[in-house]
Amino acid sequence: MTEPLLQVENLTMHYTTRAGELSAVDNVSFSLKKGEALGLVGESGCGKTSVALTVLKLLPENGYIKEGKIIVNGKDIVPYTEQEMRKVRWGEISMVFQAAMNALNPVYRVGDQIIEALEEHQPQMTNKEMKQKVTELFELVGLESALMDRFPHEFSGGMRQRAVIAMALSCGPDMIIADEPTTALDVIVQDSLLKEMREFQDQLGMAMIYISHDVGVIAEVSDRVGVMYAGRLAEMGTAEEIFHDPIHPYTMALMSSFPSTVGEKTDLVLLPGEPPDLLNPPTGCRFHPRCPYATDVCKEEQPEFKEHSPGHLAACWHPRGEQS
Amino acid sequence: MAETTITGSDLVKPDSLWRIRLRLSWQAFKKNAALFAENPVGLIGFAIILIFMLMAVAHPILINTVWDPVIYDPVTGIDITIPFHPSPPSPTHLLGTDSFGRDVLSQLMFSTASEFALGAVAAIVTVLIATTIGAVAAYYGGIIDTIFMRFADLVVMTPFVTLLIVLSTLFEVGMIELAIIIGLLGGFGSTTIIIKSQALTVKVRTYIEAARIAGGGDARIIFRHIIPNLLPLSFLYMMFTVTSAIFSEAVLSFFGLLNIRMSWGLMIFTTQFSGYLLDFEKWWLIYPASVAITAMCAAFYLVGRGIDEIINPRLRRR
Amino acid sequence: MRGYLFKRLAQIVITFFLFLSAIFFLVDAQPGDYGNVFYSNPRLTPEQRQQLKANLGLDQPTWVRYTKWMSSFLQGDLGISFSNYPRPVIDVIAERAPRTIVLFMSATVVSFYFGFMAGKLLAWNRGGLVEYASTIGGVSLYTVFTPWFALIMIWVFAFRLGWFPIGKFIEPTAWIGAPTEVNDVFIRLIFTALIASVLLFTLLVSVGRLNTNQRRPATWIGMAVIAAGALIYWLNTGLGVYALDILWHLTLPIITLALISFAGSMLLTRNSMLETLREDYVLAARAKGISEKAIRDRHAARNAMLPVVTSFVFSLAFAIDGGVITETVFSWPGMGRTLLTAANAEDIPMVLGALVFTGTLALTAHLVADILYAYLDPRIRYA
Repeated sequence: MTEPLLQVENLTMHYTTRAGELSAVDNVSFSLKKGEALGLVGESGCGKTSVALTVLKLLPENGYIKEGKIIVNGKDIVPYTEQEMRKVRWGEISMVFQAAMNALNPVYRVGDQIIEALEEHQPQMTNKEMKQKVTELFELVGLESALMDRFPHEFSGGMRQRAVIAMALSCGPDMIIADEPTTALDVIVQDSLLKEMREFQDQLGMAMIYISHDVGVIAEVSDRVGVMYAGRLAEMGTAEEIFHDPIHPYTMALMSSFPSTVGEKTDLVLLPGEPPDLLNPPTGCRFHPRCPYATDVCKEEQPEFKEHSPGHLAACWHPRGEQS
Repeated sequence: MAETTITGSDLVKPDSLWRIRLRLSWQAFKKNAALFAENPVGLIGFAIILIFMLMAVAHPILINTVWDPVIYDPVTGIDITIPFHPSPPSPTHLLGTDSFGRDVLSQLMFSTASEFALGAVAAIVTVLIATTIGAVAAYYGGIIDTIFMRFADLVVMTPFVTLLIVLSTLFEVGMIELAIIIGLLGGFGSTTIIIKSQALTVKVRTYIEAARIAGGGDARIIFRHIIPNLLPLSFLYMMFTVTSAIFSEAVLSFFGLLNIRMSWGLMIFTTQFSGYLLDFEKWWLIYPASVAITAMCAAFYLVGRGIDEIINPRLRRR
Repeated sequence: MRGYLFKRLAQIVITFFLFLSAIFFLVDAQPGDYGNVFYSNPRLTPEQRQQLKANLGLDQPTWVRYTKWMSSFLQGDLGISFSNYPRPVIDVIAERAPRTIVLFMSATVVSFYFGFMAGKLLAWNRGGLVEYASTIGGVSLYTVFTPWFALIMIWVFAFRLGWFPIGKFIEPTAWIGAPTEVNDVFIRLIFTALIASVLLFTLLVSVGRLNTNQRRPATWIGMAVIAAGALIYWLNTGLGVYALDILWHLTLPIITLALISFAGSMLLTRNSMLETLREDYVLAARAKGISEKAIRDRHAARNAMLPVVTSFVFSLAFAIDGGVITETVFSWPGMGRTLLTAANAEDIPMVLGALVFTGTLALTAHLVADILYAYLDPRIRYA
């Protein structure tokens, strides 16, 4: 297995807004191998969710892919039509949404909403087989199978999230994108759910992309971590490298604001200033207005996203704060 | 935190609070006006209203200059040079005359002002009552809320036009009375329910809590913090009230139930009264007034929708 | 569910009694009293006038009259109509209410069906000229001065094209020598429609259990069977011609009313649908790779339906409002016109009766709306 499951190359996605073009994802490249877990971390509004939606081409009508490739199982899906995308969605890549409460339609039984996906992707299954499949999925995620005939509002937050995960697993996808899968839950549920998700992943041999603003969550589940800032990837490396040997000053700041007790929700408090306005992003390195090491070159030229050691990439003129 | 340099002028002349407030609301107004101007739906409505305003203003000027009141008075005028009335449109009577020999255009323009007045009074009464009750009911909850909301249910349940018909046959109802009745029905009925549900969402915001902790009295919180946040929605419902007021007046006048001198609805009643209602050859007896009623109602409704798309983020495109 | 409905039912009964009291005191507050029509006769002596007053029970204090009116109402007695003397009010209502209800029920069902479809498509394919044109067209239709619109419809379809009669409930000359009364035929029509709708509903529910590819043919066959059954019944009774006469008179008012309320339901559906389209479950449905049509119909439109259904039921409750206007223009002998004539003639018992009818209709509609809402929204059903 040399070929990666997902390869994103120079992906740039824009929103057309009243006030102008907003570059939500700018020149992002990464790849994901089978069975691997990639974490994407960054402040809210840095483009994490936009990356997820772009990979599934689920953009709102004012969003479009400006350039780049999204290669899924060897095929570039950027030119795909909606019709062709339907097979990719859920069949190859499925998604666990941020707010599970809202991702389930309140007027249908939870089981039926999973069956709906099965009907679409596995039309050869009979009604009975589908029910059987839902039962299995529910057991897998730790829900009683009788709950499949209940409505979403009868579920607790944690149960809903499990149901959404069961739904994401239903069509046997190669990878799942989990967008803030546990943010709405309380810490204890969050922790056990993350552990279970990691277990399904190993068990089913799937690849995962975890997206969170919470460094603790990312630390717990990811093999590799990408740090995003203002629509760009600032740094990418193994979890070990990112947490213990950060190169980019933004990652360094992010890690210093990450408390040693895992799992607690934190805000990024140590950085001065605010995330930039993506309608009018800073020139050069987008982080320079807040960077303690910024020099003239940072203001003028965009640093290349390059390899500093095998597999450890960063986009910075002053890696680790060195003034060359 | 970025360092702020305190200059001399800041210390010498601090802006007074109301001035800041004024500037903020002016900015908000400009922003919303720009948003409104982008929406053709609202703009069309606004343009129609402007045309009607011009008509309302033009009538007294015309009657004092070019139109001889003996001939052109909307209620008592008659053109005796024409042997038979109703007469079709002609250079002297651009929209013809009605069965009593009165000029249709003059009637049409004369009525515009009172339609505006009717709409304005009804809308103001509705919104004053609905906003106050909505804010108070949402703020206090409990028994006050229950009483007003049950009462609102009762009002909402009652068919509007039917009730107005009954009222106008039992009592003498003129333009002002009608405006107030419509205002009361709206103010205690559907508009209150909508504004109250909005007030509930305002009530739980943190700045209300902050104001309470800072020791703000109930009245101060309601009038300074809750009500200002309800005003956009109130303004929206003012537009819808104008529509329903003008429509109701037209219907009641059409049935000849109102005690008024002239209005668009009354013009059609006159047509019906003189037996020309189904005489479509004499279109000028029905069309001008009907088109005016429809256009005015539509105009305020369109403006309302335009405003709705600004204040209701869920309808916004992006 | 049961608890919820029971609570609503109790609330509705209380509201109904408040409504009854409100209309009684409202009418009572008029200058003079409801005997006005009779006293105005100049030949009456003061003694006779007093006598008349006592006969009508108007010499008694308000609260006595109130309790009397209430208790006779509870016994189903609404008094005698002055303008239809000597017919009891309840009798007049029994004759005319079905006409108004049928007229508005059919018009509302038609307009909401098409309004919902149009609004759904409008929200789904947003933007461009179509959106503005349909919004402005819809608003014009929504705010059109109803009598004028009805007149235009009469002019075009009755005068010019001659497709429909100009107004009225029946063509009297065609009924000379008819074996039965107008109302008898009309009631039979209503029952046919009712039975057919119940059968249709049962059909649609049971078809849902079949496999996808069997649904369509089964629906068509079932509908054909229902239609054939109705046809055979009317051919056998020999009243078919008369029924057609009623239907022919019914068509233009229904089309007119349906067009007027079509715009309202279209605009409402559009707004409601625009809101549901922003919901996460719609995005989730797209992520599941479901077809666009299924997302539109099964997810967005299904949820956008909730407020539309409520408004549908409420608009039935307001039938009498539109009734006054439409029935007047079309000379349709229903409750709206009855109310207007009664009000003009100061026939107070009839006015009160018409208002009671209105209130009953409104409250029934509220109850139906609650039940429907609970049926459509599981969050209420299983609360």
